[in-house]
Amino acid sequence: MTTPAIEIHGLSAGYGGEVVIEDVDLTVPELGYVGIIGPNGGGKTTLLKVVLGLLPPAAGSVEVFGESPRSGRRHVGYVPQFPQFDQDFPISVRDVVVMGRRGRRGLIPGWGRDDRAAARRALEAVDMAEHAAAPIGELSGGQRQRVYIARALASQPRVLILDEPTASVDTAAQEHVYELLGQLNERMAIVLVTHDIGIISSHVKQVACLNRSLFTHGDQTLTAEMLEQAYQCPVELIAHGVPHRVLAGHHGCEDPGCCSTGHHEE
Amino acid sequence: MELTELLGLPFVQRMLVAGLLASVACGIVGTLVVVRRIVFISGGIAHTAFGGIGLAYYLQDRLAWTWFEPTWGAALFAMGAAAVVAAPQLRRRLREDSTIGVRWVVGMALGVLLLGLVDRTRVQVQDPVSLLFGNILLIDTHDLWLMAALVAVILLAVVLLFKDLQILTFDEEFARLSGVHVPFTNLLLLVLISLTVVVLIKVVGVVLVIAMLTIPAAIAGLAVKNLRAMMVLAVVIAIITTLGGAILSLILDLPPGATIVLLMSALFGVALGVRSLR
Repeated sequence: MTTPAIEIHGLSAGYGGEVVIEDVDLTVPELGYVGIIGPNGGGKTTLLKVVLGLLPPAAGSVEVFGESPRSGRRHVGYVPQFPQFDQDFPISVRDVVVMGRRGRRGLIPGWGRDDRAAARRALEAVDMAEHAAAPIGELSGGQRQRVYIARALASQPRVLILDEPTASVDTAAQEHVYELLGQLNERMAIVLVTHDIGIISSHVKQVACLNRSLFTHGDQTLTAEMLEQAYQCPVELIAHGVPHRVLAGHHGCEDPGCCSTGHHEE
Repeated sequence: MELTELLGLPFVQRMLVAGLLASVACGIVGTLVVVRRIVFISGGIAHTAFGGIGLAYYLQDRLAWTWFEPTWGAALFAMGAAAVVAAPQLRRRLREDSTIGVRWVVGMALGVLLLGLVDRTRVQVQDPVSLLFGNILLIDTHDLWLMAALVAVILLAVVLLFKDLQILTFDEEFARLSGVHVPFTNLLLLVLISLTVVVLIKVVGVVLVIAMLTIPAAIAGLAVKNLRAMMVLAVVIAIITTLGGAILSLILDLPPGATIVLLMSALFGVALGVRSLR
């Protein structure tokens, strides 16, 4: 039996006594591909922080390849939602990607030949090799997103975690990113988190809804019950336009007035 | 006086070496200050240092601590300010810009107060104007050695930890996740700023330190899009403007600190103009 990429049992977490997520169970297999959806404020960021070892759990356990989140971090490639940097920062694409090697290189000054080679391969994998010398600030949103994926790949992770990977990207670039993730899933686990259920693609092997608690069937079927539990509103209002291959067991709600989250309202 | 004649004078030679050392420090550390957008924090550290200068003169007078030079006092206060800025408990509890403002004025007021208490018949105090606005002409050989040692420490630290400084200034969250010791690296950066401030006070004084930390790096940032290249270019720009300003001030008999800073500012204006034309 192989070690799961991420194993979460009975996890509760929050800030200063305020519980944001409660009793979450989730297993991401070694080559799993999990899409976690849920409304803003539903605890997606909190869950990611715990998995990345930035926030200690209040209760329950989290293991990343059988290790604690902090030491399991070296297996994780993380792609942030809106990387908090300044567009004017004087740095080339190549230099951003090689940063992904810091965890392996440690405190030895400078980068080694293997670090540069890994950065180059990562840029090739995301089809950005010809932009290696460009300043990061000159790229489009979609190109930048692929550079952050390359930075995560440069560390040769076994699981890739992405927070809203297509939030600042146009539709054509979104397709490109999902195609890339599908290819990467052949060699690593992928966890992606989003508030936009419309973008859950056919690549995803398992869907979970997070709103304080996590609702999942363990495969890619997203049922109306899961959505209603997570969003606490009728499914027509939140799942408008979601392909039927993703959404199973669709059924109506008698009281459409109960929705206040405002997702995909027409 | 002819320029060649001027360059033969020992105090002019010391001035040029001091300008060179200050340029190396301010180009390298100033680049980090500019890209991390902590110009105001650095200004706070510089002004806090003035309290240390006052304290040093006061202790020389009252306790006859003649070994306690103003430079040590400035270094002590600047490092103290750096430690306060880096302390996470304080950062969380207070608005950062308010605390910078408080330290800024407390440092200045304390310096003025302590200088006022010094008996000037016993301790020779440098003219307050030259403390505030610098006098590169007053630098002696002992000062030069001290400056050289500080610049060597700064260079060594930046060369050895360039990677971590770059990752921290670019993306702090990523730094934390990729194994960079963020609190240490943050403190290191502030300590480097403090040391640079101490070097620069000798040249342009407490008030004008921000100019040297900011302007050469800001000009370099307009021209290059690479952190290492920005540091090198900032050093070159600092050397040209510092030495040019110092020589100009001698020839025209102007205050050197102010001349250097105005020359830098003029070049910044030209650089902005050139960029907007392109």
